[in-house]
Amino acid sequence: MENKIRMLRAEKGMTQEELAEKAGVTRQTIIAIEKGKYVPSLELAFKICKVFDKKIEEVFNY
Amino acid sequence: MYNNMSYKTFKWVRIFMAMFIAATVSIAVTIENVYLALAAVIIGMISMLLIKKNVKEVLVDEMVNSIAGKSALMAYSIAVPVLAVLSLVFMFSNLKERGSDMYNLGIILSYIALGQMFIYSFFYYYYQRKYGRDGE
Repeated sequence: MENKIRMLRAEKGMTQEELAEKAGVTRQTIIAIEKGKYVPSLELAFKICKVFDKKIEEVFNY
Repeated sequence: MYNNMSYKTFKWVRIFMAMFIAATVSIAVTIENVYLALAAVIIGMISMLLIKKNVKEVLVDEMVNSIAGKSALMAYSIAVPVLAVLSLVFMFSNLKERGSDMYNLGIILSYIALGQMFIYSFFYYYYQRKYGRDGE
């Protein structure tokens, strides 16, 4: 599973810590997702998409 | 109550609490007072629970739970067979001396292994029911 979280975060000038706070997870989880080492649950994927105001297919690719 | 603790502060408080418990238990062992040791452990556990609630940052999320689940399964998969084999070794190597310390140790280890299997089976069944894997 690939994702564009790092790119979207850079566009918004958002740090990993800020995204983690908004998504309600730890910074380590955001780092793992960005690196593709951890596949988030559907709930967390939707939360991340909501932060960026994007559709799920615009953030995650399978 | 202090309701906005950062993770950094929490880490220091956790270290302090561990030191407090270790020191108190050491003193309790030295003066042979089991109640003091129990009190220190219980106070430490309750304090940590209360402190955790006041940390503003997220400490446990789905990835932490996932890692904990995998670690628990790995620990169980290693501990139970090791305990079972050890218990059999202790029991069968002391069959002629039933009632000896080593034979009893084997029995105790086998009960610990059985206890772990029971707890694992209980929670496996519980979560299976919770998540609806009961054939419906």
